[in-house]
Amino acid sequence: MTPLRPAQAEDSILGVAPRWVAEPATVEEAVETMRGCARDRQRVAFVGGGTDLGVGAPPAGLDVVLRTGKLARVVEHSPSDQIVVAEAGLPLAALQRTLAAHGQRLALDPPFAERATVGGIVAANAFGPRRTRHGTARDLIIGLSMVRADGVVARGGGKVVKNVAGFDLPRLFVGSLGTLGLITTVTFRLHPLPEASATMTVARPTGAQARAVVVALREAQLDPASVTLLAGPDGPSLGVRFEGFGPGVRQQVERLAGLGPALGLRFDLLDGAGAEAFWARHELARTSGAVRVRLAAPPSAVAAVLEGAVGPLTGGLGPGWATFDPWAGAGFAGGTPTDTGSAVEALNRARRALVALGGSLTLAAAPPGVRTGFDAWGAPPAAIEVMRRLKARFDPEGRLAPGRFVGGI
Amino acid sequence: MPEAHVDAETRELARQLAAVVGEAHCISDPAELSVYECDGLSHGRVRPRLVVLPGSTEEVVQVVRLARAAGVPIVPRGSGTGLSGGARPTTGSVVVVLSRMRRVLEVDLEDGWVRLEPGVINLDVTRAVQGRGWYYAPDPSSQSICSIGGNVAENSGGAHCLKYGFTVNHVLGARLVLDGGEVVDLGGPAPDTPGYDLLAALVGSEGMLGIVTEITLRLLRKPEATRTFLATFPSSDEAGDAVSGIIAAGILPAAIEMMDTLAIQAAKAATGLAWPEVGSILLMDVDGPLAEVEHTAASAIEIARRAGALEVSVPKDEEERQLMWKGRKSAFAAVGRISPNYMVEDGVIPRSEIARVLREIGRMAAEAGLRVANVFHAGDGNLHPLVLYDARNPGEEDRAVRLGGDILRLCVRLGGSITGEHGVGAEKAAYMADMFSPEDLETMALVRCAFDPDARFNPGKVFPTPRLCGERPGPYRPHPAEVAGLAERW
Ligand SMILES: Cc1cc2nc3c(=O)[nH]c(=O)nc-3n(C[C@H](O)[C@H](O)[C@H](O)COP(=O)(O)OP(=O)(O)OC[C@H]3O[C@@H](n4cnc5c(N)ncnc54)[C@H](O)[C@@H]3O)c2cc1C
Repeated sequence: MTPLRPAQAEDSILGVAPRWVAEPATVEEAVETMRGCARDRQRVAFVGGGTDLGVGAPPAGLDVVLRTGKLARVVEHSPSDQIVVAEAGLPLAALQRTLAAHGQRLALDPPFAERATVGGIVAANAFGPRRTRHGTARDLIIGLSMVRADGVVARGGGKVVKNVAGFDLPRLFVGSLGTLGLITTVTFRLHPLPEASATMTVARPTGAQARAVVVALREAQLDPASVTLLAGPDGPSLGVRFEGFGPGVRQQVERLAGLGPALGLRFDLLDGAGAEAFWARHELARTSGAVRVRLAAPPSAVAAVLEGAVGPLTGGLGPGWATFDPWAGAGFAGGTPTDTGSAVEALNRARRALVALGGSLTLAAAPPGVRTGFDAWGAPPAAIEVMRRLKARFDPEGRLAPGRFVGGI
Repeated sequence: MPEAHVDAETRELARQLAAVVGEAHCISDPAELSVYECDGLSHGRVRPRLVVLPGSTEEVVQVVRLARAAGVPIVPRGSGTGLSGGARPTTGSVVVVLSRMRRVLEVDLEDGWVRLEPGVINLDVTRAVQGRGWYYAPDPSSQSICSIGGNVAENSGGAHCLKYGFTVNHVLGARLVLDGGEVVDLGGPAPDTPGYDLLAALVGSEGMLGIVTEITLRLLRKPEATRTFLATFPSSDEAGDAVSGIIAAGILPAAIEMMDTLAIQAAKAATGLAWPEVGSILLMDVDGPLAEVEHTAASAIEIARRAGALEVSVPKDEEERQLMWKGRKSAFAAVGRISPNYMVEDGVIPRSEIARVLREIGRMAAEAGLRVANVFHAGDGNLHPLVLYDARNPGEEDRAVRLGGDILRLCVRLGGSITGEHGVGAEKAAYMADMFSPEDLETMALVRCAFDPDARFNPGKVFPTPRLCGERPGPYRPHPAEVAGLAERW
């Protein structure tokens, strides 16, 4: 078994300190560690790059933190089949560099790519602005291997994009936050790197105008890679990005610009540096602030999301930021509140507004004070009983990231 | 009406079920039951105990409760077009047919979704919204007859799934009736419902977790432009190179389909198309915004030519385009024109291995003294070898079955799969062990146990060996039913 080292302060997860830390150098060592934890009934949580540990609730208790950072190999990249098998601890940016050498990419772009690991991205269901066209990890994962709570190694899916043999374990692990098992390798389908890219922005749109842009894009049968509303202290802006071959991108830019007058909006085409700055500002927005939340709502409700959720949040969390993809219906908000009471009040108001729309608000980061007044997940979803049964099958002793997930799972 | 020659228990169950769904929708007459003995696979027939056709979620709940009280397994069924025996009855089962539940409940084009009952036919989803320029993307070749409930259970694909994804990428929500009669709603029009992605586990679970009684599907706006071309090649070597070249150029076509000489002959016989009898044909669609499509179509054609295409033809109008696609989509049935019997296989290989695998299949077929026609989704390496045989010749059917199995094992050896879209069902359960370890299968079974611990739904499918849901892992304790010899395979 890999030697365990005594835990330090920085090994804590949301203030809960483990006693030991394991950092296996190979998948075999990780299996050993998991078997050891099973034998000794140790409660264990998994940490990749540590970029999204604020998601969910603090663990109910913890003995071991298993760090995946040394499981960082590209196991197999088959450019002609457009698939890659990577170990869970491989940082996204390192993976993208390997793929880019062959003109390919994984079409996932969550923040902190240098640190965020592929296993962590899958477990936390992390995503970025390219969700508009490419979806989330759920749409790109095709296989996975794992170690179960009892130390048994298992695999689901495969190495081909099209495959319906057996139950879909890979997708079930997306967003499971380390409560079902340790992800050891992930297999993804890949996409070609686009030849061209262009970003256009609209300054200070209202929610209704952002919505009108989405409808106009759809009616014009354009195919945006990203559509993002970015709301900050200096007012909102809307970014639309196209990716593809040169002629296609150029034509879509012209068509969108041409739609401006009818919408009463001006679309500004950014130059390369401008586009880079816009998306960097977007990433900064969604990762800054001591309190951060994920927002979800039906996409057409963007105006109601701005008014009912983003409004209260940007106020109540101090001068805050928010982003929302009005095509996919998902976004983020955050800020650093000076007053816990008004922060909690704003969070509750925003959650009520989103739930009333059929959506949700979940915590991605918050200091302990806010967490005492505000549940990370909100009211359990309709299917919570089945979720509990699933957890009980995979982890009957409740040792994996206990209490981190929905409904106290 | 309950019949005199069935046992008293079944008669009583039939009476109770008829009280729920109505006399007309509870079938116990042996002649009528025989309609439900199999799905799209005609061999391995099993007569069900009873068949019911409920008309609502509430009726499904009561049917499930009655079956549970009687200790009888349930086999859900849509249109019965499945090709892996997924809807084949288990001995003593009640088959629950969802085909009466075929209302489109709600269309929301603001957010691009439709909520409907499971018996709705795939093509009818697009028909309901195409007037307004929308469509439902997954397009199995059986789309004019198969049900959305069946598509969800099988995670069905189709030619255009290369670009647009499979059923799982288009299901936003589902209502599911569990063994206890509980009704659970999964997902919905807003993304990212907190908790486990049970919806992803449900899609492709082959009717083994419960009965789906409502589904919310994502709809897409029609693409602005579609360009289609058909290229002929001397052999599948050049055609395979063309596919690889197109993908390597960064083009993501909406579909690339490939047919070999035998499949071409069959399609011609069935449709009267004037296709040349070459070694291989590629049929390709690119779609999207106009300039992107024109650019990618031109490059793809250029790549096909460089790879050795004999001829590239572009349809002159939509009618001619539809005809080309008809040739492809009718290929399965068309093979009936050139062989008295045939078996449809469904394996997946890494795309880059296409030419090598086709040569190997040719060699294996020659060795078995049989012919194999190949028609398949080349873009994602999903092969449909059609093994031709004549059941009147003694031993030939067995040889065909063996050849089909050998082809699937070849797919697994190359890193592929035993099924790309038809599912495991009853037919391929035995091959699961070639692809997955006992631990992999046991882990999948945990999902089944969480939803359906008594294995009420569709027992005997997907898993190669009998399994029961123990309450807790740990030292092995035989289940009471196992001791009594009642254990079902599932
Ligand atoms: C000529 C032909 C071409 C085909 N082409 C394709 C193709 O291109 N791509 C493809 O993917 N498939 C194809 N198929 C296979 C088949 O059509 C699909 O698997 C289809 O999804 C089955 O739908 P069905 O309604 O007929 O389901 P059935 O055959 O009735 O059932 C299939 C499975 O679904 C379960 N089920 C059905 N309804 C429900 C429900 N409401 N709740 C829970 N479980 C349910 C059943 O128990 C069974 O396990 C083809 C079949 C034929 C005959």
